[in-house]
Amino acid sequence: MFGTLPVLLLITLLVFVLLHAAPGDPATMLLGQENTAADLAEAKRRWGLDQPVHVQYVKFVLSAATADLGRSFRFAAPVKEVIAERLPATIELAAFSILIAVVFAIPLGVAAGARPNSWVDNIGTSFGLFGISMPNFWLGIMLILLLAGNFHLVPSGGRSTYGIAGPSQTGFYFLDSVMQRNWAALKDAFLHVLMPALALGVNMIGILMRVTRSSVLETATEEYVVTARAKGLTERIVLWRHILSNALIPIITVVGLELGTLLSGSIIVETVFAWPGVGSLLITGVTSRDYPLVTGLVLMYTVAFVTINLIIDALYAFIDPRIRY
Amino acid sequence: MNRRQKLLLTGLTALLLITAQARPAEAQTRVSIGVTETMETYNPYGDSVSLLYGIWCQVMGCLGTYDFDKGDYVGMLAERWEVKDPNTWIFYLRKDIRWHDGSPFTADDVVHSFNRARNDPQSKQTQNIAPIASAAAVDKYTVRFTTKQPTAPLLEYLFDRLIITNKAVYEKYGAEADRKYPTGAGPYKFKELVPGQRFVIAKNPDYPGMKQLTQAPDEIIYRVMREDEQRVTALLNGEIQIAQFIPPHLRKRVESDPNTKATTVDSVEIMFLAMQPKPPFDKKEVRQAVCHAIDRDRIIATLLQGLAARLDGPIGPGQYGYDPNLKPKYDYSPDKARKLLAQAGYPNGVDVEIQTPVGRYTLDKQLNEAIAQMLNGAGFRAKLLTPEWATLWSNVQAGKTPFYYMGRGSIVDPSVALSQYFETGGSPRIGYSNPKFDKLLATERQTFEPAKRRKVLAEAMSLLTDDAPACFLWRHKMIYGMAKNIDYKPTPSGRIFGEDIRVLK
Repeated sequence: MFGTLPVLLLITLLVFVLLHAAPGDPATMLLGQENTAADLAEAKRRWGLDQPVHVQYVKFVLSAATADLGRSFRFAAPVKEVIAERLPATIELAAFSILIAVVFAIPLGVAAGARPNSWVDNIGTSFGLFGISMPNFWLGIMLILLLAGNFHLVPSGGRSTYGIAGPSQTGFYFLDSVMQRNWAALKDAFLHVLMPALALGVNMIGILMRVTRSSVLETATEEYVVTARAKGLTERIVLWRHILSNALIPIITVVGLELGTLLSGSIIVETVFAWPGVGSLLITGVTSRDYPLVTGLVLMYTVAFVTINLIIDALYAFIDPRIRY
Repeated sequence: MNRRQKLLLTGLTALLLITAQARPAEAQTRVSIGVTETMETYNPYGDSVSLLYGIWCQVMGCLGTYDFDKGDYVGMLAERWEVKDPNTWIFYLRKDIRWHDGSPFTADDVVHSFNRARNDPQSKQTQNIAPIASAAAVDKYTVRFTTKQPTAPLLEYLFDRLIITNKAVYEKYGAEADRKYPTGAGPYKFKELVPGQRFVIAKNPDYPGMKQLTQAPDEIIYRVMREDEQRVTALLNGEIQIAQFIPPHLRKRVESDPNTKATTVDSVEIMFLAMQPKPPFDKKEVRQAVCHAIDRDRIIATLLQGLAARLDGPIGPGQYGYDPNLKPKYDYSPDKARKLLAQAGYPNGVDVEIQTPVGRYTLDKQLNEAIAQMLNGAGFRAKLLTPEWATLWSNVQAGKTPFYYMGRGSIVDPSVALSQYFETGGSPRIGYSNPKFDKLLATERQTFEPAKRRKVLAEAMSLLTDDAPACFLWRHKMIYGMAKNIDYKPTPSGRIFGEDIRVLK
């Protein structure tokens, strides 16, 4: 775990330097068009932007060491609070996307891998290609036009309808509505998450399906699979117990990697669907040059990536007893 | 009915009951508005965008606003005001206003608000009170503002910009007050703010005159929807009743639906091409040649589909000090442009780089592609650059962009904007300097008699148009989509006040 500290330090340094090197600063971006030179200078002084960059960076690292990420200029609140407020939305969205992807991609991939070049394989592969090559912002707009516009199945965006759910206790709307036994709010939360989750998930279905397919194909040629068949086991048991369980390692790896990508992929999708998560937060942060917020967010993304990788590593040992750390 | 069916029926009934219970009492009328600005902070001083000034003004309160129908300023929390001497303004507050917690609204609150706008560490509104040296309560309902120097356009700075907040609540709870105890004095009450998602306000029947406005919505939900398609789809679906800023190409979709309509309003934002007086734009002839080279009428008729009004000077009809007798000075004439270029010493043309934001203003990139082509047809060799907004905007503010397409919004009284862009030392954005123009602006600021002031303003703007440090192009017409049962006339300033909305049965 301590090995990640230099990584975090390096990443914050990189973000800090890049952000400060980019033209523009929070004062010019946030004060409105009417600002005068005096207003700009005063705002910079108040926000500590008149100090040299290295001083600002050292100050940031020192306070970050005490888990204080500073105050956001744009939101007028501590960065930690701002992120904590938005994170549940992104986690909920990512969880749903991954659910959609796993539910569709794995059975499809297994079926395709079990019968290569059959019609299932052809359809699955075409669908996979469609998923991979579809830019998710475009898919998002198409979904809005189709599902919300033409069929009126789901709301066009946002995360909840005003007036249905009570005050949020956890930030996770699904959890809240179950805790409050507010089934209308549960349904509302589900309808809202469906479209953005689909826009994110379809992309993943493609990748995951292809990985599952090739992993299953590869494992199917192993000797123990031949043995299993020779023992007279049914094809179903051979496929699900002997092939799939051994083909899972690359699949889990990809799910883990994709989970990381989902966090970053949600930056665009969240903006298209007005989903108030950390992705849209990052866009707001970058366009307003909110240094503390952007640095805090990148730090959060890094920690999330590292944690996910750690969990995946632990999962390997769980799935394959031969792997021991 | 077997046991299984009974169980299912009981389950369904229970679910129905729970669902019915969970639904809160419906407000009588509720209007949702799809807006493009995002709302992020509970601090009324924490942002400087048009929409939020309007919302905070309704919830917290503000001294007054500009009535575009009347063409004049009207009081809100202030009943009337007077200029005692060129540096002293007295505002007489209404005595029948109460904060939403029942306590009376007084002059101390106004002084407190002035101090917060200036000193709050998160304030992004210091520019609104920049001309003011100090504020003091003369008595319970009278406030005195002392300006640093005579400032005739002071109301342009203060009205619907200086947000009035509750002194007692702030002193009791400090910075926590905004988030936990949002107590306003306006015609609408704070109900809910979900950052990045929505701002909900509810009618305050105790505000003078609100009871009579029976058709004004009981609840208004401002919903953040930055994506155009989403706003239009939500409007057609009935999720929202008003959609801000429909792009021209989606207008037909709104108009062809039987339940929705579209309406336009001239924006108060003026669009122009700014030219820094550095070579080749240090020569007046080159700047004038740019203005002659652009066929504004054709661009408006074709690319903008008629959704813009041509500007022949810095401002247009409805804005303070507009002179209807101003003759169109720059007709479209590539020949005149070429001649002017030759006079300036560029008979073989000249290289220029024009910079434009992308996606910030209506069709900005497309319009500038056309502008660049027209410049090329008139002796220029124009190259179009499209930097990211943050880069362009900060370069412009630092005076590093010689030739650019830009808008200046919120212009009701043009004095502040003219000073900012064109007065010597106003800002480095253009870096133009003309002592004659400076003198006219200084006179205008010290002239408190409206008719005289308009005359001086008109003279200043005429001088500016001739000297052409910028080529004034057009004001966009903004399209608003709305449900058929909504009667609302959008304001040119982009503020959306609940009192102006009527929900028809």
